Amino acid sequence: MSLNKEEKLVSEIRELLGDRVLDAKVQRLRSIFVTVRAQDYKESIREVAEKYGITHVSTITGADSGQTIDVMPHLSCAGVKITFKAAIPKTFAEIETLTDVFPGAVMYEREVHDLLGVKFKGHPNLARLVLSDDWPGDVYPLRKEYKVVRPEPIR
Amino acid sequence: MAMQRELFKHIFKKPFTLRYPFKDKEKVHIPSDFRGKIAFYRDRCIGCSMCFRVCPAEVIEMTDDEKGKRPMFYLDRCTHCAQCEDVCPTKSIELTSQYESAGTDRTQMILK
Amino acid sequence: MPEFSVIVGPQHPALKEPESFTFWVDGDDVVRTEVRIGYAHRGIEKAAESRTYIQNIPLIERICGICNVAHTICYTQNVEYLYGREIPRRAEFIRTIIEELNRIHSHLLWIGIAGHEIGFDTLLMYVWRDREVVMDLIEDMTGNRVSTALMTIGGVTRDISPELVTKLRKGLDLLEERTKYYEKVVSRESTVLSRVKGIGILTREEAIKHCAVGPTLRASGVKSDVRAEDAYAAHDEVPFEVITSDTCDLFGRVVVRVYETIEAIRQVRYCLDHIPSGPVRIRLPNTPPRGESVSRVEAPRGEDIHYVRSDGTDRPARYKVRAPTLGNLAALVEMLTPKGDYRVRVADIPIVLAGIDPCMCCMDRTARFIEPSKDREWVWTWNQLKKYAKARR
Repeated sequence: MSLNKEEKLVSEIRELLGDRVLDAKVQRLRSIFVTVRAQDYKESIREVAEKYGITHVSTITGADSGQTIDVMPHLSCAGVKITFKAAIPKTFAEIETLTDVFPGAVMYEREVHDLLGVKFKGHPNLARLVLSDDWPGDVYPLRKEYKVVRPEPIR
Repeated sequence: MAMQRELFKHIFKKPFTLRYPFKDKEKVHIPSDFRGKIAFYRDRCIGCSMCFRVCPAEVIEMTDDEKGKRPMFYLDRCTHCAQCEDVCPTKSIELTSQYESAGTDRTQMILK
Repeated sequence: MPEFSVIVGPQHPALKEPESFTFWVDGDDVVRTEVRIGYAHRGIEKAAESRTYIQNIPLIERICGICNVAHTICYTQNVEYLYGREIPRRAEFIRTIIEELNRIHSHLLWIGIAGHEIGFDTLLMYVWRDREVVMDLIEDMTGNRVSTALMTIGGVTRDISPELVTKLRKGLDLLEERTKYYEKVVSRESTVLSRVKGIGILTREEAIKHCAVGPTLRASGVKSDVRAEDAYAAHDEVPFEVITSDTCDLFGRVVVRVYETIEAIRQVRYCLDHIPSGPVRIRLPNTPPRGESVSRVEAPRGEDIHYVRSDGTDRPARYKVRAPTLGNLAALVEMLTPKGDYRVRVADIPIVLAGIDPCMCCMDRTARFIEPSKDREWVWTWNQLKKYAKARR
């Protein structure tokens, strides 16, 4: 199956964003990954969204990669999944919010904040989403430091 | 009133509910390949431990008996996913169509 | 004017699953809404990191009981993308058959629940009687009425025999006749219409702005369906229509779901007529290569998206699930906000909440007690739990 549409999209995004793109590749049919720096995160996404008329963000994934946390919003553009990736240091986990570009991203940023401790600057209401109210404030379950020990099954 | 005719038809019909377990036990629809209680055939087992590796619920514990390594099943934890039946190379594990397997003592639910 | 707050949840007769809504009301009108979720959070994403890819299949299946087929298809598809291998065509057709049967089941269940929320229990009973037909078909096909366990990495575990195909065709004929009857009921019964027309309005611009998904989005006139845009399994070959409605209210959502059920019946018939022969699975090694992958599926409630990252071991380094109900949460709060002439009454709250077809267990994702401040973790048996509950009283 030819990947012409995806290749064309990757080269157009590289042209649009210039040297702000650290890496852009076609992952598979209808899926491309674009890596940018954390300081260019919001502006790059806003420019790509305006150029292609993207209005739908499927979700925002946060992943612990050792020293950094990858923040990855997944956008949908006419069936093609564009995944942006920005790495932020774990010790200073802050990044710009996307809620003024995509108002539907409020819940997804709250979830990443709750489980990984990433602060989204400018978010309207960064309250707890899935963890309970008496959960200690500095424990982030999805970080690799939080070890889960499976108990012995009761035989 | 779109439902009136339907309601009138049903005045003369029997109720749809089966009175299981008091009466209609034989009318319960159980297919032949229903995923029910595990049955184990010791003579076919070669002790490869593949079932132990794919079980998601820690049901299986490998022990030894006079013929070699073999699994022991703690059936109170079983979720009937049938992955052990699927992966066994000699077809020694089978999920039968027995569906009444509730109990009050977990020590009585070990398949040795 | 003093405001009065009504708390619905986490345990409430109007809700099928635990979530907490706080409504500030002025008389009979809702003024403001606040949502608190997380009551069924089970830590599935963290649990998936300590299990192998094969052991994760039943875990992902239990994210949700009703949408279990959508989640397992999304998971196995995702891992197959990591390997870069195609599964046999017959397996893709079988996946589509069980997925559409699951969609019929879920939508029939929802029509009954919607009837129950507006007080029309007769509709609930009749629809759930006809739902038994599709549950028996799923049981014949997979061995269990709800939890299918048909997917594996590399294809499906069971094949369909010619006797099963005959049973499926007979069951589908019956389901189609009954669904067409229910379509007549919901579009002509005056008691239903007076409870759903003009309630829970979400305009097209608001639906797009708040990133709504599934029938909630399609009832606001937006033609968006993952099966059409991002076809997976056999949806690139099976013809179907994306059902939309222009009414932007609850009536549109009911109509979209009823017509989607009829479309799903047609899709299963097409699959049964055109299924190719061949193997139903390929064997893949235990460890996928390093990489990451995103996969999307149209669950009965909307777009379900999974992300996986593999670091070369037999356990995933990160597994992320975004279930469709979380995508509709922002749209739900918008539906419950009054603007201009549009008011939301307290009596409409249960049906508006049920209108997005909420699946809270999909949305949250503990069986273990943890006290992080004291660094203590433990498991209790049933008897210990009973003793603790009695001691607290």
